[in-house]
Amino acid sequence: MILTLLKRELKVARRNWIGLAIPLLFFIIVVSLFPFAVSPEAPVLQKLAPGVIWVAALLAMLLSLEQFYRSDYQDGSLEQLLLMSSPTSVALSKILAHWLLTGLPLVVLSPLLGVLMQINHGFAHADHTWVLMLTLVLGTPTLCLLGAVGMSLTLAASRNGLLVSILIIPLYVPVLIFGASTVTASLENMRYNGELAILGAFLLIAIVFAPFASGRALKISVG
Amino acid sequence: MSQSKDIQFDGLYAHELTVSRSEQILLEDADLHLAPSTITYLYGENGAGKTSLMRCLAGLLPSDQGSIYWNKQPINHPDSSYFQDLIFLAHSLSMKNELTIAENLSFYANLRLKGGISQQSLSKQISDVLLELGIGGLENRMFAELSAGQQHKVALARLILEPAKIWILDEPFVNLDQKTRGWLAAKTLEFKNNGGVVLFTSHHHIDELPVDQKVGVEHE
Repeated sequence: MILTLLKRELKVARRNWIGLAIPLLFFIIVVSLFPFAVSPEAPVLQKLAPGVIWVAALLAMLLSLEQFYRSDYQDGSLEQLLLMSSPTSVALSKILAHWLLTGLPLVVLSPLLGVLMQINHGFAHADHTWVLMLTLVLGTPTLCLLGAVGMSLTLAASRNGLLVSILIIPLYVPVLIFGASTVTASLENMRYNGELAILGAFLLIAIVFAPFASGRALKISVG
Repeated sequence: MSQSKDIQFDGLYAHELTVSRSEQILLEDADLHLAPSTITYLYGENGAGKTSLMRCLAGLLPSDQGSIYWNKQPINHPDSSYFQDLIFLAHSLSMKNELTIAENLSFYANLRLKGGISQQSLSKQISDVLLELGIGGLENRMFAELSAGQQHKVALARLILEPAKIWILDEPFVNLDQKTRGWLAAKTLEFKNNGGVVLFTSHHHIDELPVDQKVGVEHE
């Protein structure tokens, strides 16, 4: 059943790709402006890199949340989905599709932005790009999952974009802290297993609770 | 929920139902029985709560009090087949503009049948029903490209493509031409004669469709 839902999500997204391209474009533009605004010197950029890339990724994810559930809510298909399948599986398929369409492209683009921010400057052998990608692989699904809960809670409110931001940014902050500090630790040649494990723990907790919570909230929003 | 009581009624039975919307009570302690092989016409003025009652019976709007039973079992009981048996067509057509007609229809059919039908026979069925509705050959058009009446016809095609035992239809006859009204009335009668339960609203009297039961919702 989830597969049927997922296929539909991806098909709709393929025909509507401009909406999906905007957060990615935003991600690239924000990061690429930093060398102009701050300094093109490699050591400075390198120091800023983890924070800048992570903040840009977080904002891009926040920007893309608007597409979660909204069009399905407006055209009535959300109602039909909730009648025909369980709320949790509706939420789960939405979250999965949303991550594949926004989180995954961010991960794929991040090495490019790592180069732009001189992330490997001065290191002959270490490759921090992999660490950056790994943190985003663990972190962006968590952001998706939390965002889904926020979106489904505020679906019935008009102009809910701001409300969602206020609601979920506090929940995003821990992910941001551990995501960026993992990369920083790696840049400072320190061990970063602990931070990475915490990012993984966030993801696991979110996977267990968020689809269920989002599904329940969808039921309430539709009723 | 008064589970201890034995419900004797087949079909859909609402017991002492109270429904409210935005602090306003629309329905209080109402009993409603929709038996198999009956067509029920729900009437009332605009804003009287017809849609809310339908959404409540479809399990979308929680009721304040009372219980709803489908074939003697509460509708949200884990063993209940209610949501498997129900087609609820609301005002909003629930179709995606970004998908073609065939993609929209086969998505819902696949979701209901859980893959229990081959895609070839499904697409054959889709082209047959679109032909009956006078929009044959438009399977691969985007839903957004159709006129309002045509879009409405696509939503109605779900009634034929998905097997069900109860139809709850909110204003199904609106926007339809004479021919399609006749088609829908005939299909509704056929569904009823096969043991189906039908509940529908309409602002106009539908000559083609004899109703077995009339239920009114009124402002106080």
